Amino acid sequence: MTSASPLQIADDDDGFDWEAAVKEIDVACQSANPLTSLPNYPSSSHFVPLQNNLVDDPDQQVAVDGEDERVSCVGIDVEAAKTWIYPVNVPLREYQLAITKTALFSNTLVALPTGLGKTLIAAVVMYNYFRWFPDGKIVFAAPSRPLVMQQIEACHNIVGIPQEWTIDMTGQLSPTKRACFWKTKRVFFVTPQVLEKDIQAGTCLVKYLVCLVIDEAHRALGNYSYCVAVRELMTVPLQLRILALTATPGSKQQAIQNIISNLHISTLEYRDENDPDVSPYVHNRKIELLEVALGKDAVDINKQLLEVIRPYAARLSAVGLLQNRDYKTFSPPDLLNSRDKFRRAPPPELPQGKYGEIEAYFGGLITLYHIRKLLSSHGIRPAYEMLEEKLKQGPFARLMTKNEDIRKVKLSMQQSLSHGAPSPKLSKMLEVLVDHFKTNDPQNSRVIIFSNFRGSVRDIMDALSNIGDLVKATEFIGQSTGKALKGQSQKVQQAVLECFFAKLYLDKVLLVLACEGSELKGYMRKQANSRAIRKHMHNGGINSFDFHSSPRMIPHVFKPEVQFVKLSIEQYIPRGKKVKDDSAIQTPMFRAKLNADEVALIAKYFEPTSEKSWRPSLIAFPHFQAFPSRVHKVMHSYRTDMLIDTMQYLQNLSFSGESNTFFTEGEIASGKCLGVDTVEKEDNDKDPLIWDESPSTKSQKTVTDSEVSSLKSLRTKEQNVLDPQGQRPAGHSYLFGSEFVSVDAHGKVIILSVPVLPLKEASQTNCTSPSATVLLNCLKPNSCHLKNPGKNYEEQTVQGKSSQDIITSWVQCETSVALAMSKSNLQQETTLDQVEKFPETSVLKKIISNEGDCVGEALNCLEIKVPSLHADEYDNSNELSPRLTNMIQSGFVPESPIDIGLLNGKGRNEFLATDVSPMKLCAELLSKSQSPRKNDIAISSSSCQRDVSISSINNEFHTPILKENNVVRTDGCTSISPAAEETNTPLANLTKNSLSKDWLPSSGDKSENVEQARKFKRLRKIGDVDRNRNPEGNKDKSLAPIANLGRSFSDISPNQIKYCKGKRKLTGNARTFIEEEAEVSSEAEMSDDEKDDSGNSSYDDSFIDDRTNPTAASIQAETSRVDMMAVYRRSLLTQSPIERESNSYITSTPDCGNSVSRRNESKSSSVKTLCSFQTPQPDSANDSARRDTDSFRTTERMSAAMPSITDAGRKETFQQGPAENLDANAEVFHDDQFFEDLDLDAVEAQATLLLKHRSKLSVQKQDVAPKSDAQNFDLQSSPSFDLGIW
Amino acid sequence: MDDNTFDPDLIRAIFKLVWGRRALEREKNEGADAVDCEVGVGTSKKIRPTSANSNALKLSCELLRVFISEAVQRAAAIAEAEGVSKIEATHLERILPQLLMDF
Repeated sequence: MTSASPLQIADDDDGFDWEAAVKEIDVACQSANPLTSLPNYPSSSHFVPLQNNLVDDPDQQVAVDGEDERVSCVGIDVEAAKTWIYPVNVPLREYQLAITKTALFSNTLVALPTGLGKTLIAAVVMYNYFRWFPDGKIVFAAPSRPLVMQQIEACHNIVGIPQEWTIDMTGQLSPTKRACFWKTKRVFFVTPQVLEKDIQAGTCLVKYLVCLVIDEAHRALGNYSYCVAVRELMTVPLQLRILALTATPGSKQQAIQNIISNLHISTLEYRDENDPDVSPYVHNRKIELLEVALGKDAVDINKQLLEVIRPYAARLSAVGLLQNRDYKTFSPPDLLNSRDKFRRAPPPELPQGKYGEIEAYFGGLITLYHIRKLLSSHGIRPAYEMLEEKLKQGPFARLMTKNEDIRKVKLSMQQSLSHGAPSPKLSKMLEVLVDHFKTNDPQNSRVIIFSNFRGSVRDIMDALSNIGDLVKATEFIGQSTGKALKGQSQKVQQAVLECFFAKLYLDKVLLVLACEGSELKGYMRKQANSRAIRKHMHNGGINSFDFHSSPRMIPHVFKPEVQFVKLSIEQYIPRGKKVKDDSAIQTPMFRAKLNADEVALIAKYFEPTSEKSWRPSLIAFPHFQAFPSRVHKVMHSYRTDMLIDTMQYLQNLSFSGESNTFFTEGEIASGKCLGVDTVEKEDNDKDPLIWDESPSTKSQKTVTDSEVSSLKSLRTKEQNVLDPQGQRPAGHSYLFGSEFVSVDAHGKVIILSVPVLPLKEASQTNCTSPSATVLLNCLKPNSCHLKNPGKNYEEQTVQGKSSQDIITSWVQCETSVALAMSKSNLQQETTLDQVEKFPETSVLKKIISNEGDCVGEALNCLEIKVPSLHADEYDNSNELSPRLTNMIQSGFVPESPIDIGLLNGKGRNEFLATDVSPMKLCAELLSKSQSPRKNDIAISSSSCQRDVSISSINNEFHTPILKENNVVRTDGCTSISPAAEETNTPLANLTKNSLSKDWLPSSGDKSENVEQARKFKRLRKIGDVDRNRNPEGNKDKSLAPIANLGRSFSDISPNQIKYCKGKRKLTGNARTFIEEEAEVSSEAEMSDDEKDDSGNSSYDDSFIDDRTNPTAASIQAETSRVDMMAVYRRSLLTQSPIERESNSYITSTPDCGNSVSRRNESKSSSVKTLCSFQTPQPDSANDSARRDTDSFRTTERMSAAMPSITDAGRKETFQQGPAENLDANAEVFHDDQFFEDLDLDAVEAQATLLLKHRSKLSVQKQDVAPKSDAQNFDLQSSPSFDLGIW
Repeated sequence: MDDNTFDPDLIRAIFKLVWGRRALEREKNEGADAVDCEVGVGTSKKIRPTSANSNALKLSCELLRVFISEAVQRAAAIAEAEGVSKIEATHLERILPQLLMDF
């Protein structure tokens, strides 16, 4: 850039468009290196009133440009550089504005009389550089610590540079600390010595310096730190704005020139009090000279003193050492001069021996004259003290010991003092003060009294104390350590000044300045100086000075416009000092003594000596730790949630999978927050409904399971499971009993009411914790029940369901915590449903409802759901009743609902998996729950439904969260499944519709309520749980579910399967995908049936139901089919790593004996593969979908490759799943890593299947109600769906 | 911040009591393994009594106030649930584990 600029400038001579060129250069510079600042341009031409002689000389400019090829590494804030801020917090003064404008763009020396706002100029310049250069560092140097402190506060109060960026650094700060601050802060208020040292030490990051303000710049002479620092800075190629401030630039042209040279000043801004723009702001100053005659005593003493002096003076005059004049007119300086002269050149005629005598005379005379002066100017007391001190020892004492006159003097002084020694000056002063405060408001008026003798300060103080309250005076003296009076340190001085200006001395402050009279003299000198510089101005003008060039700092592209802003300035907080003052404000109550009761109380608990002293126990009430305690203002922490989960786990030791569930819970809990949003998006009303349905379905499932077990004599395990389920009501009641025990024990209704109440409470409290606790409690019992069955994974079908339910309930609980309101609603609904239903069913429903609630919570926390939940509740109750009736009507029917529930659970799992990314934790939890559900997977139809719902959910979730899903999967099938569940829950609503339809078909009543769909969702959730368990046990969740589904279908009844197939076909006609799915499901069912005879029975039942449902669903809606497709795609997406899934499946196959066996047996794998194939093809549009399809294809391939396909395919899928699981690191969470991995994959696969089924179902349901539409919308909304399905 | 927080002087007195005890314990312990401590960073610091600056003290006061008020409120909730109008130590024990985990 710099190379170009000279050329441009050269062109300028030829009439080149200067402005355009500059712009061009600046633009080029900007693009090339935004950090480089432009070559120096004497822009001050239009800003600076005093012409910089460099400005008009192009050649010089070029030279300057060359010189200024410094690269500053500080970036400019382009936006901020468009303006410069001038604060209008204080009234605007034109001269300040003009000077500021100049100072912004060139190095300026501001010579402005005291009190006219130099600090404001500095502060505004600093503030604008602070804005312009976001990384730039700004230094304000002032020569003393008090000044530094004063300036930092002043600057803050003018422009309010954030205090976190400012720091004051003086020599009191250690260099290491300073080095640290140099790095972290941006605005530094330093003493020049600190600046110099730190620049030399390299700790000051000079590269970042953009602005240096030098206060009291008149000191920048010779080798003062200012000069050294600036010299150091100038040796670095550095662009720097220098602003020098002074009130007293000096009286000689040369001195000012030195300052200008030393500080590289290019502009001098000079104002004095007579300038028209300044004069209005100059304080009125009236000098009145009051002559006070010496007091009578003083006159007498003075005479006596002169008597003492006379002989000595005469002696000295005789030898020619004193001027021959009236000895009365001598003053100490005269004598000092004479003595110096005598010492330098003693009179030759004087013998050497006399020298000592002469010296003694001189010394004595000096002292005497000094005393005399004190006497006349300060009164008798100081003179007396001086005399007394001198007489004690030393040459003066020796000289005067025998002098009678001096003794007389002393005596008369003593006499005078004993009378009070009233000084006429002091009394006059008091007179003036009293007059002043009579005419001026004492609150607003302050007085400073200067004295040039330290000792007299105390006299003045004493005198002031005599006039009482009218005057509050304090002393303010210099640092020097006096003999009588100790000097004040800078600190004290500062404090006094602060108080002075803060009106702490309310009435009138008497500040006595005793520093060698410096102030007054300084003032006079200032006057002289200003006169001097003024003379220079008139003589040679500003051009008589030789100015330096300075960089403009701001590229010419930026023409900052002044912007008047009223800055809001935070109150300045002095660094770490003031707090102690606050602590001084005592709270008196602690001062009071304890009364006897309090002492006894303290002794009871804190008696240090007695061994009996009570100590709080942390383990006294373990049961209270199993659920969250009510909180006041401090919410429960994550660790507390962990504690609660652990306590719950510990109190339900029988549940083998608890650890997983706990983890999942924790995950869910954590995920709740994450998932809530997603849930909110997707869920809304549908979700709660779905959930409700799902619980109902679960209950139905349980019922069906029991029925199935009895009827079909399903696997003994399943029967066992069913039995437990039948028992579960009691168990549930127990669970509830822990919280709502009585209700449970009394009956389902009671139980229902109880959960509702807790839920309500939770909602009321808004604290998720209570609801969560309730849910957890419910879950715990559930889990316990489930655990018992769950222990036997073989029994998983029933147990799995129960466990799944529990898991779901857990999840729900967690979610419920987040969405206590929604949960309460859900729970209420479920409870209601349960009540309506059979006791057992009600119990189941309750469980389901809990699960559903959990799901709803997971979904999102169901804020939206709450309203929907109410409706859902009603629906659920209705649905449940129909479902129950349906179930009752046909043994198959009940089974079918169960299956549906399982399927739903699967679907949920899948959905969750898809959704997992947003709500990984939830997903994990869900996945855990799902794993058990996987066992139930037989409920393929339900799973399909779930899938459908999930698909919609998945669409939304999956696309963004594919990775997350994978992670979840990797985390463990369980984790994934929970995620899927969560997603499912939202989806579940949609699915619920489908499920409800399914239920209807299963029950034979296709017209069943949407609520049924919800129930289904719950069932699905359960199924998901089962799946999760399966995955845990068998990593083949997806495969297993599929297989289960297939098995269930096959097992359930050929008729059902046929129905399902037929339905599927119908749907499939509409869309090949749907068909494929149906086929897959049917195939899977078949294979499942074959493999899982007894164990699958329940699954089969569920599958059958699902199938029936699907059939209905298919009939109901092609649109739902679309959803199904989307679901499939989503599931596929979730499963995207097909290979991994296959792997997972493989692993899972070994892990989950039941599911694996089933899978192996079942041809479901082939079915799955088919599904996967189908889905992938449509999904090709979406990457995730592609992945899923790929995975499916792989699975399909696997299945195809292997006749016993199921095993191989499963294995493959499982393998893939584990890989995913590994990615997710979910393994850590789950004990059964293999299973988890497998589960994940399996869950996904299952989910896909379920989704398909669900989609079909949902479609059917959609026909029934707008819900389907909503589902469709969801699906549409989801990108993944769009890709493949649509 | 609540103005009704604890008196910083009181808290500091309590802190100093605890620090003093800690220091004594440390000295005892360090009697055994003084060598390790010598090497450690704290060699110079361990001589100095622990201290807190005024801001830290203020913050501690507020934290303690929040902690105690939360404890009382939770215990009160338990007591209320039990129909007791007086908070007993047992009520505190019930909420203590979770309370400690929350802070």
